[in-house]
Parts: sequence; C-alpha cells; structure tokens
Amino acid sequence: MIALTDNVEAMASRLKINAQPDRQSLQSAVDYHLEVTLAKSSRNADPEDYHLALALAIREPVIRAMNATEARVIQAGAKQIHYLSMEFLIGRLLANNLRNLGLYDVCAEVAVDMGVTLSDVLESECDPALGNGGLGRLAACFLDSLASMSYPGYGYGINYQFGLFRQTFMNGFQREQPDNWAVHGTPWHIERREQSSMIPIYGRLEGDLDAAGQYNPHWLDWSSLIGVPADIPVVGYGGRCVNFLRLYTARAPAEFDMAIFNDGDYLRAMERQVAVETVSKVLYPSDSAEAGRELRFIQEYFFVACAMRDIFRRHGCSGHRIDEFGRYNAIQLNDTHPALAVVELMRTLVDEHSMSWDASWEITQQTIAYTNHTLLPEALERWSAKLFERVLPRHLEIVYEINRRFLGEVALRHPGDQARLERMSIVQEQPHKQIRMAHLAIVGSHSVNGVAEMHSELVKSQLVPDFYELWPARFNNKTNGVTPRRWLLNCNHRLAALISEALGAKWITDLGELLRLEPLAADTTFRSAFRDAKLKNKTDLAQRVRSTTGVTVDPQSMFDVQIKRIHEYKRQLLNALHIVHLYCRITEDNCPLLAPKTFIFSGKAAPGYALAKLIIKLINNIARVVNADPQVNRSLRVVFYPDYKVSVAELIVPAADLSEQISTAGYEASGTGNMKLAMNGALTIGTLDGANVEIARDVGADNIYIFGLTAEQIVQRRQSGNAAQEVYDSNPHVRRIMTRLLDGTFSPEDRGLFAPIARALLDHGDHYMHLSDFADYARQHERAAGDYCDSQAWAARAIINVARSARFSSDRTIQEYATEIWDLQQVG
Amino acid sequence: MLLEDVPEGDCLVVSLKEKRLDAVIAASFREALVERIDQGQRNIVLDMSQVSFMDSSGLGAVVFILKHLGHRGRLHICGVTPGVMAVLKLTRMDRVLKTFETRQAAIAA
Repeated sequence: MIALTDNVEAMASRLKINAQPDRQSLQSAVDYHLEVTLAKSSRNADPEDYHLALALAIREPVIRAMNATEARVIQAGAKQIHYLSMEFLIGRLLANNLRNLGLYDVCAEVAVDMGVTLSDVLESECDPALGNGGLGRLAACFLDSLASMSYPGYGYGINYQFGLFRQTFMNGFQREQPDNWAVHGTPWHIERREQSSMIPIYGRLEGDLDAAGQYNPHWLDWSSLIGVPADIPVVGYGGRCVNFLRLYTARAPAEFDMAIFNDGDYLRAMERQVAVETVSKVLYPSDSAEAGRELRFIQEYFFVACAMRDIFRRHGCSGHRIDEFGRYNAIQLNDTHPALAVVELMRTLVDEHSMSWDASWEITQQTIAYTNHTLLPEALERWSAKLFERVLPRHLEIVYEINRRFLGEVALRHPGDQARLERMSIVQEQPHKQIRMAHLAIVGSHSVNGVAEMHSELVKSQLVPDFYELWPARFNNKTNGVTPRRWLLNCNHRLAALISEALGAKWITDLGELLRLEPLAADTTFRSAFRDAKLKNKTDLAQRVRSTTGVTVDPQSMFDVQIKRIHEYKRQLLNALHIVHLYCRITEDNCPLLAPKTFIFSGKAAPGYALAKLIIKLINNIARVVNADPQVNRSLRVVFYPDYKVSVAELIVPAADLSEQISTAGYEASGTGNMKLAMNGALTIGTLDGANVEIARDVGADNIYIFGLTAEQIVQRRQSGNAAQEVYDSNPHVRRIMTRLLDGTFSPEDRGLFAPIARALLDHGDHYMHLSDFADYARQHERAAGDYCDSQAWAARAIINVARSARFSSDRTIQEYATEIWDLQQVG
Repeated sequence: MLLEDVPEGDCLVVSLKEKRLDAVIAASFREALVERIDQGQRNIVLDMSQVSFMDSSGLGAVVFILKHLGHRGRLHICGVTPGVMAVLKLTRMDRVLKTFETRQAAIAA
C-alpha cells in the first residue's frame, strides 16, 4: 500500500506496464519458470507444470498492472466499492486472464512451440469451488465487470481450504468427497501476511461509567483469531485495470495458548489451534440445517471484521478523515451473510473512533447497501440471541440499541401499532429470541435491492411490505447479469469469433452491440455458420460426456440441459417426470419423439437434503434404463454429468439447444444460468419466474417456451385444496408416470426406493406444483421438439436469443449499481 | 519476563521490556505489579513503549492491576504503541485507562 498521495504520481509512472509481452519474451518466461522455479524440463514436465509456468510468466505483468491500478485510484482520490460475499465462485483463472490480457492467441502459439496444447494446459488448472451456485458466481461476474469497466471495486471473502464438496456417484447415489482445491498451491494467491488482522470473539462485557459519566462497556476475556489475507488479482478486459479479491484465512495467533504449550500439553494446544483454523476450513453447503451452526456465525463475523479493518486501514492510508468514510467507501452486502457489517461499522466508529452514535449511524447508512437474494422465509437468516451474545457480546448490545432507536421511529409513525413493531423488529421474541439479519441489513442500509424485476416487486409486496411502506425510496431493482468475457468470449470461442467477424469486437465490452446481430438471423450464410459452431460445441461436449460418464450421445440430437443446484423448487423432478413420460410414450404408446433428445443434468444436492439426493438417484436410474433400452436409446438419452462447477458449466452452456429454467413461479430470485444459456444461443423452456420474465419479454414469445402457473395462481391453487390429487385423478399420463416410479421400472432392485418422491407429490400436497404444471410443460416441450425439426428456423430463433441477451451483461448491472447505489466514478 | 523499576519522585515507573504482553507472561506480569502495590506503591507509571502486541490475557492483567489498585492510587500508562492502542480502543479500555504519550507527561499528570 502506498501511504502518501504525494508519492503516488511517481509511483504510478514507475509502475506502468511494459509493452504487451511478445511470443519470444513469453516463451523465455515460461522456460525460466519451468526450469528454475519448478525445476522441471520439457522431458518430465506435465500439463500441470506448464500451467504453473505459464501462470507465473503472466503473473508479473498482472501484478504490475494491479499496483498501477491501485496507484491511479489513490491519485484520483476515488470512492471505492467493497463487495462483501461469503462466496466467490471464480472458476479457473488462467484462460480468462489470458483472454482479458489479449495474450490467449500468443500463448497458444507458445504452447505449440513447447510441444503441448494450450487447451490441455488450461484444463489442468483446478477449479476452486468457493461457492454453492448463483450467488457466488454473481459475485465473481461483478468483480470481472468492475475491473473491465475500470471501477475501483474489490471483493472480500473467505479463503476456504475446502470448497463445496466434490460430487461422485456410487450406484447412482451422490457421494460427497472433500475438495481440497489448493492442495498443490495456486499461482494466483498473493499472501499479505503483513496486513493480517486480529479478530476477537467470545468474552464478556463489563460496564462502568467513563470520565464523562457515560455508560462505558468493556469487552474483556475474548479469544482471538488472526485473519491472514491473500489477494487474487481480478484482471479487467484489456488488462489496464486489475483489481483484487481479498480472501481471508483464519490462523491461531502466534502466542496461541503458549501457556498450555509451556505446561507440556502439546496435544491440547494443537487441538485449540486446529479449532481456530476451522473457521476458514470449509464452505457450508446451501440448504444445510440451520441449527447449531456456531461456526457459520463465526465465519460470517470473521470475514466481515477482517474486511472492515482492511477498509479502514486503506481509508486511513489514502489520507481521508474518518468522518469522510461514507464519502469514499461503499459496501455492498451480497445477501444477509455479511449483515454483521452494519454492527461492526457502528462498533468501529463509536468504540474505536469515539464518534457520536448519530454521526456513526449516518455514515453506516451512507456506506452500506444490501442485496436480497431469497424470498423463502426459511432461508432468511436468524441467529439466536444467546449465540450472538456468547460470540459477540458487544455487538449484540449495539444491535439492541439500533433496534430501540429504529422501533422508536416506527412507533412515532404508527402509534399504538404493536403488531407492526413486532413484525418489523430486528429482534424476534418468539418462540425464542432471535436476531433477524435481513431486518438488520435493511435498517442499516441506504439501498435494498432485489435481483430481478419480479423478485424486487415481491420483496416489496410480500417479503417486507412494512419496510417498503416506511422507506419506499430505499427499495430498488438491479436485475442480475453475467460477464460476457467468461460466458461467451472465453467459453464459446467459436460463437465469439463468429460474432466478432460480423460485428467487430466492441460487443465484448458493450454487449448492447449484440442487438445488431438480429438481422443476421435471416441470413442463411450466418445461420449456417452459427449452426456449425453449435454442432462443434455439441461434439466437444459429447466427447467429454463419453469420457466422463461412458454414455454416448448424438450431437445431432437436441441437447436439453438443466444445470444448477438440485432443489425441489428448481424442479429437476419435473424434468425427470417428463422424461419418464417420453419413455412411456415410446415404449408403451409406440409414439416416437418428434426430434431425438439428449437430456443433460448437472448439479449438486446439499449433503443433508435427502429428497434432493433421491432426485439425483432417480435421474441416474432413469438414465440407466433409458440409455440401455434399444427401443428408446436412438432417440432419447439421459446424462447426469458429475461434479457441477464453473468449468463444467463452461463446457455445457455453449452446447445447449434448450435451457430448462423451470422453477416453481415465485421461488427463483433471478437465476443467471438462464442468461448464460440464452447468450450462447439456447432457447429457454421456463416458467414466469425470476429473470425468465425479462428474458421472455426481450426475446419475444416466438423465441421462448413459457409454461406453468404464475406466482399468483400458485397462491390461489394452494388455497383451493390438494391440486396434485386432482391432476392425478384427471390426467392419465401423470397416473402412468407415478405408477412407473413405484412399480420398479426404474428401481428393480428396490421398488419402494422412490416412494418418498411419490409421497411428496401426492400425499404432501406437491408444494412445488410439479403435477399442476406438468401438462403445460409437456405441451411446450412438444412445441419445442417440433420447432427443432426445422433447423433453419431454430437457428434463427437461437440467434435472436443471442442478440437479445444484450441486456443481461453484468456490465449493465454494475453500471446501474455504480450510478444508482454506489455513486462511483471510473478511474481511467 | 523483564521489568525495570525506576523511582521518579513519588512515582514508580515500571517498564515492561518485552515485545508481547500475552498469555505467556500475563500471569507473572500481573503478580509482579500486584506485589508492588501490596508493598505500598500507590503511583505507578507503566511504560509499554517496547510492547507491540497485547492480547486478551495481557489486557486482563492490566485491568486486574487497575482494579487491585482501586481508589488507593493511580495507574498511568505511557508509550502505548499502535498495536496496543488498537486493542485498547477495540475494547473501549482507552476510556478507562489513563494513557500518555511520554513518560514525563504520565509522571506529571
């Protein structure tokens, strides 16, 4: 960190990047790292060695650019955005960095010169699974956009030793293996040990009066964690702006339990050390049981506290006053996981900087903004007050004071409305005292946004209507987006090249340019080239499917993909039921498919989510039966691609024809897979849920397959009784599917295996409306299959999807955040 | 643990000649200061200019000494390094402990 702004200009000048490395200098650098750093030669180096050598070779210009970027930001005195997220699903970095640096092609040549292929080298990079899904990937896309648009924006999170588990299948059942992703080290981590932070937890409060007679609580007898940061450079497109993602590892303090150690109890001392370091050991899977997760609470505080200390440190180094904190810093909370930032910022200002409560509160609200990601009441975080008090006694006191003042404001507006106070309180009193983190985040922020238009409306009308009534101007929408660098340029180089040939390369940083593709949907030459690119992508995927799963699939068949976390509301089960329906149509009704189909699934179920894991087993069993049946397998194949992660998505997305976005309406906040797939020329079959609504509006009814009940209709249908039973009674296809689930067709070794699924659908009211939506879903599938038979018309629709995905760039989203929430300026 | 006592008028200046006031030395540090108080020393200036790190145990020892002294005398602290001050501010003990930039100021106060 450069401490004095006077020196910044000279520093910025010194740090200017040298001219783009050429083939010869790159080759020399790779040779050097291979032979000197790694002590290997071309005789014994494997692709992993070449990957490391190449990454180290480009690390130098990346770090120089990162230092130069920081110098420019300080020189400009620019406001900075700090994006706090428990998850950053960053994916592999080398290929993306090479593309963004403009070095991809020259590195491909260097690789050939060295007797390897760049694709093999890139494939050997580990894919860090530091997130569960959409929320974490959104954070990574945002960092890419911030850097590519030259915004001073930084990510803060946890450097999990074990990412989300590695998924394997044993007899079709999901098995979870630990994912020790960085076991061989990573060239992209820059450890900043000198910027470590001491983070206290536990302890007790002791209060007395200070010299001015004011209540003065002291936080005593705490234990401490040390947060050690490591930076991952975030290379913006063009390579000029390189920001960073700062991830923290928990370590025991150096003096850790030396008293125990000195007593000779080495094992006890080491046990305590292991316990401390557990804090950054493992990423919690989504949908895990909420009870008893003290470690998760500590994780949330740990990274928030580390981030806050770092932001204050950098603010101080920039020479700004503390009362200017909100003017120069914005903090975005990615869901409620970092909501403790509200309290930590207040504590820092009031306790450590002796600011008044009112001035501190003004800065806190000015600085913090909150993004909501879920409408599911059960997914809204609440922490028991007992746990809160045990881990963070001083913070709980601050929460109570925030709440006291907030409820006073509500009571003033709504005198005598006790029920409203109870609904809005940050503290839920019954059945036991809990802290509502969403309420804390809303109260402590100047902006609350949803992530798609429909979701943002539901936040206002259903999730927290009282808050919307109180502060209508605070609520807004920022529809998610995805970075076109990773999700088109890098993952689909054939389509990217075709687009660049037609439009030039401006689309890479201005996705609005894609709209100019639309007239080319009618151009037979372009359509032919588009179809050719898609077929090659499908052929690549087919090869990987065969080598990974052993299943042969036909690239000419329609690739129908559903790739996302496995959850009842996302309705992989609806997709599976429909495949059973198609299987029965062929085998029992002698009714062939209009077009051959390959159904491709990929996704992980939370280890403790039994029904989701059973759905995986069902899909795998359906695949086993269908793929082995000669009457069926020429026109129908089913694949469950294991261990879904960013690199798997990058393989499947470019090859998709049909994108399954079939969540129960009202449950998916936005979705981003829907955007990636449309951007790569897949047509969507989906419900009016999340961002599907906006995709449908943009691409037009002829270019999408919308089905199913709306969110409002679902509410009404639930009130009218057991809709699933009615469907079962009236629809013979549904009855047949349910029969096949239970008669052993797909589980000959255990006929009752899938009974829990049947019970959820028929006996427990089918909460997620699989059966109610089935007929409409099957109709739209039939329409899509018919359309697919006209390959020219299908290609035209796919091109229109690509063209009209222009709005779903994360650059657009970040621009909206920057101007409407953060008041952020670009630093050129 | 190394302590150095220097009488200055009615004060006893106690310098802690350690880089870390942590669990390793907190107990012996506390006992040493308590011993001085119990021997009748009432005005103590604690010079912490060589201490760059203090943990919860170290802070606990200082608080214990302050309480042990109570209204019988005064404890002034000088030479507080940034690392130690960060802990005092974090715990709000900076509002309880009387800290001074220099030894002379602590003695004179």
